[in-house]
Amino acid sequence: MKAGLFICVYGVLFAASFYTYNQFYSNPTVEDAGRLLPAQVKEIAQADGEETLKEIVKQANRTGSRLTIAGMQHSQGGQTYYPGAVMIDMKPFNQVIDFQPEKKVITVQSGATWDDIQKHVNPYGLAVKVMQSQNIFTIGGSLSVNVHGRDIRHESLIDTVQSFRLLKPDGTIIRVSRTENADLFPYVIGGYGLFGIILDVTLSLTDDELYQKNTKEFDYSEYSDYFQKEVKENPAVKMHLARLSVAPSSFLREMYVTDYVTVEDQQLLKDYETLKKERIVALPKFFLGLSRYSGWGKDAFWDIQKQYMLEDNGSYESRNNVMRSETDFMAYESGTKTEVLQEYFLPVNEFADYIDDLRRVLEKEDEFNLLNITIRYVEKSDQAVLSYAKEDMFALVLLINQGRSEEEVKKSKAVIRKMIDVTLDHQGSYYLPYYSYPSKEQLETAYPRIDEFFRKKQQFDPDLRFTNHFYEEYNE
Amino acid sequence: MNYRQFVLSQSIIFMASSMIFPFYVLLLRNIGDSYSQFGWAYGLFALTSALAYPVIGKWADQFGDRALLLFYSLAMSVILLLFPLVTSVWQVYVLQIVMGILGAVQKNTEKAALTRRTDKKQAGADMGRYHFWTSIAAAGAIIVTGYLVDFLTIATIFYVASLLYAVSGFIMWQKKKSIL
Repeated sequence: MKAGLFICVYGVLFAASFYTYNQFYSNPTVEDAGRLLPAQVKEIAQADGEETLKEIVKQANRTGSRLTIAGMQHSQGGQTYYPGAVMIDMKPFNQVIDFQPEKKVITVQSGATWDDIQKHVNPYGLAVKVMQSQNIFTIGGSLSVNVHGRDIRHESLIDTVQSFRLLKPDGTIIRVSRTENADLFPYVIGGYGLFGIILDVTLSLTDDELYQKNTKEFDYSEYSDYFQKEVKENPAVKMHLARLSVAPSSFLREMYVTDYVTVEDQQLLKDYETLKKERIVALPKFFLGLSRYSGWGKDAFWDIQKQYMLEDNGSYESRNNVMRSETDFMAYESGTKTEVLQEYFLPVNEFADYIDDLRRVLEKEDEFNLLNITIRYVEKSDQAVLSYAKEDMFALVLLINQGRSEEEVKKSKAVIRKMIDVTLDHQGSYYLPYYSYPSKEQLETAYPRIDEFFRKKQQFDPDLRFTNHFYEEYNE
Repeated sequence: MNYRQFVLSQSIIFMASSMIFPFYVLLLRNIGDSYSQFGWAYGLFALTSALAYPVIGKWADQFGDRALLLFYSLAMSVILLLFPLVTSVWQVYVLQIVMGILGAVQKNTEKAALTRRTDKKQAGADMGRYHFWTSIAAAGAIIVTGYLVDFLTIATIFYVASLLYAVSGFIMWQKKKSIL
């Protein structure tokens, strides 16, 4: 009798504990900046040293766990995690290992951010060659997606990498460069973490310089010509950035460009070399907020942005500061909605025709909430197997506000696939770190070497120790 | 409670406790991370045990060994259900205090029960046999648990250990002709 009572009580307690544990404790839920793919992972492992990382890989080989590698998780298609896999958080692995200012070379652990590097090298008058426009990302993450930025003279990130050390799926460590284990170099960079853990990287640096901002307003039809003649042919222009209107009254027609031109008197640099901090962002945040909700808001935001940039014409900024632009105003918190990115690359001379075609597609999509388009330029860079710049290309980054529900995702997918088709029709390609909206066929057209990439992955990591959403989605 | 029952249930208890104790450190490592916290967790355990012994000794004589051992098993089976839910160090400390008291119940009563039974002349041989069986159970448990933690999660061992404690309790609960 008493025993029966105990069994009942114990049974209830056991079930309650087990349920609570499974619900809240067992598998931490993670998601990336896209917020469309929440997933329960087995465990989040902190990379607090090389030995720890080796141990994590060794243990995974013993237990059969899958591994994924995460930095800042600003990719949006689950490139940094997978359900049931161990997610390695690389952020604590962030030391500067070696710095030789006279040789303009730095070696850092892959969890370090561009901000860490900038703070380290700025006092020596040095700067990074290629990175994103923002400095919040880790080096390992940036390498794995082979980033580009505002710099127009140094191609992609891969071109500035001298060598790196790779912790292989079998737990051993090798050095990879253009001469050592050279076959791996173009796979691991732009390799989305599928070939192992990049431990540390040796990057070549360049001099910090003072630039003058040169901002002009344009009609989109004049842009290609302007760029070819005034930007590309002018060696004094080192960086370039443009913005295309998404406001209803000037949709995909008006644009403004900012060229960063080397100042002749570089003595002035010392007045501008202090690294800037994130400023108060209430105002742009407010206008971006307005533009999320109405066409009227988009018109207002565009006018104010353009006016602000034109008034800023002629001002000076150091290279390091150009490469640490504001991000806080873009932070967006909403339960039901999220903001996703797309990036399309297309040959410089295709620009005007492409924009006409893109406009035709988007004018029919009233519900598609496009918030911003920035344009930068990447020189042809075909070193990486998954290279996106097959020739000299413009890179258009689109910021899109969308719902998180299944239906909203479906709607976005339909529009995005149409945009990608237009891009591919103009010999363009698209960037891979985002949500898996593109179809497998689109992937194969944009990246003709994708099968070769997956084959190499399977050959190098036959147990598929490393994985992620991108791999599981497209590898078949 | 007969002697077979006693040895069997104690063997299962040893099995369960040796599952938890070596690996319990892994849980602490996930939650706290300094050696002083280990020190405190185990220090509190030992200290509460020490304070509990005199009282428990008297209870054993008053309520009987079986009642106390039964209480120990059932209480442990419930307490262990809390372990997977622990998220901070203070919770570990609280659990250690409770486990300290329960540990004292088990140790003291186990020895008392053995003493009451053992014929003084062959006490050595009896103890030897008793420890053989209980230690065999413990050794098996430690090795198997290693694999459990590797392949499953640390939480699994607490649930398994909890079930083992419950089973050991039921073995003792059965009314058998007492020879103790």
